[in-house]
Amino acid sequence: MAARKTERLMNLIFLLLVSKQYLSKSQIRESISDYRTARSVDSFDRMFERDKEDLRELGITVDFGSHDPLFGDEQGYRISRDAAELADVELTREEAAVVGLATQVWEHAGLAAESTTALVKLKSIGVDVDTSVLRMAEPRLSTDEPAFDAIWDAATRRVPISFVYARPGQQASERHLQPWGIVSWRDRWYVGGFDLDREAPRLFRVSRVVGDVEPIGPAGDYEVPEGTDMRKVARSLFEPEPEQTALLRVRPGRGQSLRREAVRVEPADDFDTVEVRFHSARRLAAEIASYGTDVVAVSPSEVRSAVIEHLNAAIDGSLGAIG
Amino acid sequence: MSRSQSQVLRMLAMVPYLQGNDGVPVHDVAQEFGVTPKQIRDDLKLLMFTGVGEFAGELIDVDLTALEDDGVVHIRDAEFMSRPLRISAQEGAALIVALRTLRASGAGEELIVIDSALSKLESAMGESVNAPVDVVVDQVDAEIHHTIVRALTEGRRLTMTYATETRDERSQRDVDPRRVFTERGKLYLEAWCLTAEDLRFFRLDRIIAAEVAQESAQDHDAAPRDVSGGMFTVGEQTPYALVELHPGAHWMTEYYPVELVERDDQGVWTAKLFGADWGWLRRLVLRNAGSVAVLEPEHLRTQVVETARSALGAYYEGEPVD
Repeated sequence: MAARKTERLMNLIFLLLVSKQYLSKSQIRESISDYRTARSVDSFDRMFERDKEDLRELGITVDFGSHDPLFGDEQGYRISRDAAELADVELTREEAAVVGLATQVWEHAGLAAESTTALVKLKSIGVDVDTSVLRMAEPRLSTDEPAFDAIWDAATRRVPISFVYARPGQQASERHLQPWGIVSWRDRWYVGGFDLDREAPRLFRVSRVVGDVEPIGPAGDYEVPEGTDMRKVARSLFEPEPEQTALLRVRPGRGQSLRREAVRVEPADDFDTVEVRFHSARRLAAEIASYGTDVVAVSPSEVRSAVIEHLNAAIDGSLGAIG
Repeated sequence: MSRSQSQVLRMLAMVPYLQGNDGVPVHDVAQEFGVTPKQIRDDLKLLMFTGVGEFAGELIDVDLTALEDDGVVHIRDAEFMSRPLRISAQEGAALIVALRTLRASGAGEELIVIDSALSKLESAMGESVNAPVDVVVDQVDAEIHHTIVRALTEGRRLTMTYATETRDERSQRDVDPRRVFTERGKLYLEAWCLTAEDLRFFRLDRIIAAEVAQESAQDHDAAPRDVSGGMFTVGEQTPYALVELHPGAHWMTEYYPVELVERDDQGVWTAKLFGADWGWLRRLVLRNAGSVAVLEPEHLRTQVVETARSALGAYYEGEPVD
């Protein structure tokens, strides 16, 4: 079935591409065997409409019109070669290498093949690709999430969707979303958009989507608000900018994660004085507490008491756990 | 995208490509298109039923003898399509997102090249390409990143100061860089460490200082380690703690190697928490105290309590007691 459809679509594309005239529906029906042998005009119509939709999804524009309506020319279809063919792209040696390296990024079979096909097209119009002219980082994009394909598709085609969403330890619920975009962060995918239940922008982790993603509208059903910045929609993922300063005493050579973020280090024999910027006192306190006796919070008192509270919780927790 | 649709896209791209590379081996075609040789053979057999008409000379002709006997591809009567169609929305989105990923993990002059490649491709593809996809790679010090890229490009040795998280210490190392890659959205350097005399991975955000040395990097005979299964893999020898995860720590099951043992109806989960070593596990428990508690082993539980007690001492020394 799939092979037969591929064959029909290819023949339709070739037919419309080489034709200088607009081809009428009956001319098209005559030229392609599946259409010719369709049981009725209606079933041919349905097949032809579906195929045109396939071409549209493939990004191939079929023009409908006629050369000279004044002379009563029949309306018909064709693909404009100029609009359909890839125009020349002038890439430098380095730029071409970058595009070549980009095709190695995807670990997703489908997307890897698609980016590779794009590269083949560029090679076919004479772009020379030699990836050895550059040494660059080799990032990888993996997609383990079962719902990834459906969500990628919905976001790129603006299809509203519904899905069942389950955070660990919480009741699963059905959600309705107009996806605005997706974000990859720390090898995990997130989809952000307008949550139709909450009537507000929301972010979802793709791995928490359970089962099938259902389209609840056609492609292009909504507009993504102008100026939407996915990093803002996804801001809950990232640590906010620090606005406060804390003073710590840190044993020489210890507390690496805090030293890396330090704005000032004053070395001393027993304890260095380290100044760090922070946003959340609780988060900073947790980091300080994790170093045990190697790090002591000096100021502000908010951080000091948060550390004390945290350390007490450590004692109570692990003592209480056996009780 | 349906199977037919992706096959159509591939076959359409194949027609001009095969005419420009007459006699190319099937295996090379498969590699170019990122699919199996069998898929290419299937595509070619289907291609013979397509063309501008249904008569001889109108259908694309594939030399089956050459394909079966020599595994090479010759096609004829396809002159009507000597130029590929525009990069489709799907292909464009995949390529652009890959380029953005390179950009997010790049540094220095590379960024200029990536940006110009991106803008040329985007204008060649036109408005049809919609890639609302952002790739975020954790930022590292731009100067250190640039130094590492430079050492790699120039094939030179690197002298660096590295902070080891598990042992919480800094060390000075000479390394011969091999490659920079990402894992879980973080940048890593794979290099031969002259101190350890072994291949090592270094997280870029833990490199505190780096300098390109005078010496050229040497080629050390070491098989690259396969990290496709993740940097950290749980084996029989991997230390683990049996812990209680309260609701505030349920997120840890998605971020750390955790094996759930039991869930009670109060939302307290019992789980095995795996770690590279005991020091790392102790720090992880201390950092998440209040929502994580150690059940076993006894030595870890005691250590957590003792460490917390001693640390608390510093806050009461010389302070007025109420």
